[in-house]
Amino acid sequence: MNLLDIRNLSIELKTKSGVILAVDRVSLTIKEGEVRGLVGESGSGKSILAQAIMGVLDDRWQVHADRFHWRNIDLLRLTPQQQKELISQDVAMIFQEPMACLDPSTTVGEQLEEAVPNCQLSGFFWQKASQRKRAVIKLLHKVGIKNHSKCYHSFPHQLTEAFCQRVMIAIALAKKPLLLIADEPTAAMETTNQGQIFRLLASLNQLKNMSILLISHDLENVTHWTNTITVMYSGQFVEAGTTEQIFNTPYHPYTKALLDSSPKANIELPVKSRLTTLPGSIPLLQHLPIGCRLGPRCPRAQKSCVQAPKTTNYHGHLVNCHYSLKEDY
Amino acid sequence: MPVLLQVSDLSKRYQDKNYWLNRKEKTALYPLSFTLDSYQTLAIVGEIGSGKSTLAKLLVGAEKSSTGKIQLNGQLLTKGNFKQRCQHIRMIFQDSGTTLNPNLTIAQLLDEPLLLNTDLTPKERTSLIRTTLQQVGLLADHMNFYPHMFSGGQKQRISLARAIILQPKVIILDEALASLDPSLRAQMINLLLDLQQKMGLAYVLISHNLGIVRHFSDNIMVLNDGHVVEAGKTQAVLHQPQHKYTKKLLMSQFFQIKR
Amino acid sequence: MARDKIYSEEEFPSPLLQLWFNFKQTNVAMLGLYGYLFFLILAIFSPLLMPHNAIESNLDLILLPPSWDKLGDVSYLLGTDGLGRDILSRLIHGATLTFGLSFIVVVLSLIIGVLIGSLSALTQGIKSSIFNHFLDVILSIPTLLLAIIIVAILGPGLSNTLWAIVMTLIPQFVHITHNAVKEELSKDYVLASRLDGASLLRILQYSVFPNIIEKIVTQATLAQSAAILDIAALGFLGLGAQSPLSEWGAMVFNGLDLFYIAPWTVYLPGLAILFAVLTTNLVGEGLRHAVKMRKES
Repeated sequence: MNLLDIRNLSIELKTKSGVILAVDRVSLTIKEGEVRGLVGESGSGKSILAQAIMGVLDDRWQVHADRFHWRNIDLLRLTPQQQKELISQDVAMIFQEPMACLDPSTTVGEQLEEAVPNCQLSGFFWQKASQRKRAVIKLLHKVGIKNHSKCYHSFPHQLTEAFCQRVMIAIALAKKPLLLIADEPTAAMETTNQGQIFRLLASLNQLKNMSILLISHDLENVTHWTNTITVMYSGQFVEAGTTEQIFNTPYHPYTKALLDSSPKANIELPVKSRLTTLPGSIPLLQHLPIGCRLGPRCPRAQKSCVQAPKTTNYHGHLVNCHYSLKEDY
Repeated sequence: MPVLLQVSDLSKRYQDKNYWLNRKEKTALYPLSFTLDSYQTLAIVGEIGSGKSTLAKLLVGAEKSSTGKIQLNGQLLTKGNFKQRCQHIRMIFQDSGTTLNPNLTIAQLLDEPLLLNTDLTPKERTSLIRTTLQQVGLLADHMNFYPHMFSGGQKQRISLARAIILQPKVIILDEALASLDPSLRAQMINLLLDLQQKMGLAYVLISHNLGIVRHFSDNIMVLNDGHVVEAGKTQAVLHQPQHKYTKKLLMSQFFQIKR
Repeated sequence: MARDKIYSEEEFPSPLLQLWFNFKQTNVAMLGLYGYLFFLILAIFSPLLMPHNAIESNLDLILLPPSWDKLGDVSYLLGTDGLGRDILSRLIHGATLTFGLSFIVVVLSLIIGVLIGSLSALTQGIKSSIFNHFLDVILSIPTLLLAIIIVAILGPGLSNTLWAIVMTLIPQFVHITHNAVKEELSKDYVLASRLDGASLLRILQYSVFPNIIEKIVTQATLAQSAAILDIAALGFLGLGAQSPLSEWGAMVFNGLDLFYIAPWTVYLPGLAILFAVLTTNLVGEGLRHAVKMRKES
């Protein structure tokens, strides 16, 4: 069953100089037990999309969608308050710099205790404190922190970034969510710790059948850990499909350029040769091109690219391009 | 022909500040030596606390080493003598947000090293700034802009312009590519390779991304806790890692070179 | 046929100009700025603007009500006080004393505080701690008490209160400068300057001070509103400006005995103090707001 079904979601930003379309008709589906990667460079709107799913955008942003279903419940018919209540029961989110997201003035143990919801505790009110503590210790063990007493009484600045990220995951797991949105969880960490965090997320996905939406700006990092990938560029939906399809046979010129420009994916390239890149840089929010936003940089752009392309589906591999590379394979 | 840069027995020890009476000495970097030639890149790989940032600071002269010496073209570089060093060894920093002074225009920013180290007239300085900006792929009009108007990738290019404006021989890239997006990273790598070919530069690349290291470097040095764990040619080390720390590093990034 | 601008050009002003544009957006802050400039002009040009003499007494016209009262006279716009002196002239002269003096006090303590703070940020270890904290003992004594102690030693008078208030304001500037300079010195562009061979003076002049000036100026406006209140309070207690000087706090004190028959001698100087403090606070708040807006955009 589809946990999350979003079709043609657009997010607009009201500024002094008019309305800017930050996210332009993006579709996303997440099934149960699936790890989906959401890849996009800076300015692609992936963080805004994650915040729109959680419902935490403020009044400047307007969200429209053709379809926004959570477990087959239509969220567009509910009021924003009801939407938030429904989503916050089952969806949790972890962020980029974990040490900055934890309260620096209270111990980690106290913050975890706050996160445990009341409905999970049973018994009389004098038993609640010890039950809460037991629940916290269980959560710490679940994320792989065996030495829980030391971690319980320390402050966030005394722990490393990887530790703090595990604590954040524990806080997210406290309400037993069905979907975990991980917004660039390992950007501030060293590489050995990155592997540990990804392995933890993968084990949580397998053991508890929890779906994960893994957001990253680097395609090569997420290819090992995800089942399916969605690629975004400058607020527009570019390509989606299984990891093998995207990695081995990218249909969209942007995905192909991303793969060509990453040295890790092209190990066969001779040392010190030039990498093939797209010319130019990502457009600013104030100067977005009309139609397909990759148009000015795309090597295959032609006159019809001033119209935004429609999504075509090739056996589950979705592409948004007038001149996709399907014929090359 | 003498090598461009020769480092022998460089190490760094400092007093641990927390113990006042019982002074403990901490070694950030154990003695190491290496050589570097023009048109070559040396990659230094290691985790936080392994001593790679200390090594960068020692090479560029921001800190004084406890032992050892650094020789450039056979000439000994004295400690603390910035004017002698800055013409030959320059550095690019990691965080592009704080590398540029927000209150100065780009022209003033690039003028400063020229003012302090060369005797060019103001007209010659302006034309040199213009050509340098064009070399890194920016327009000459960008001279009059302030840093907050540029994106992250452009700020790194400006730091690169500041580094090459004195025509140095060695450039140290202290995790300069880590915070960039993949496409900008690839453009920056192409630019660095072009400049290496044109100007005969030698790079010291400090990074933890093994893909870039494999693509960009000739020699590699792996640091762990201040010790040199493994060193040698990049292809050899990444194909057949000897030390278990190197093997662990390769495994965690899923890095396998297929034969 | 005139060509209209077809392409909207994006202007990229310097950080200082950006600050000014943000400041101009908030109307309340602009109002405060106009009031502040008004007081400043009054303070500087007071001898030229006074209609009558502020010090000589004129016993024929004692306690004339303000001109809007039916017994008042328009040539003495705000009435006269117990010794026949025109209140409007006294207020204008008082602007020099209260407002102008507070400005001088803040500038003096700013210079001394920034010097000590920079010294403490540039050194390390014990020396730095000594510079940073040796004036902290002043923070523990209330301003008024300190002023009374100093006046008790040196005798009453306006210049002695000046020294007292300068002493109380210095520690704040020391701390703010110390923290700001320490933060700036750890940034990469200062290291880059140092590696280029810049001398310490050059680093301070081009890299450090332009970036911390905003923090210091907002602290200065806070300090000025405190200084105005302190000068007025000391004048009210009789420790500051001695009669016949027309400092606002002293005017309030002089009019207190006559409050039931001539309330204007009390409330007019009080209103002047209120507006001076209000405009200073508005300017400080507007500056702080503009700095925050610039950081966000």
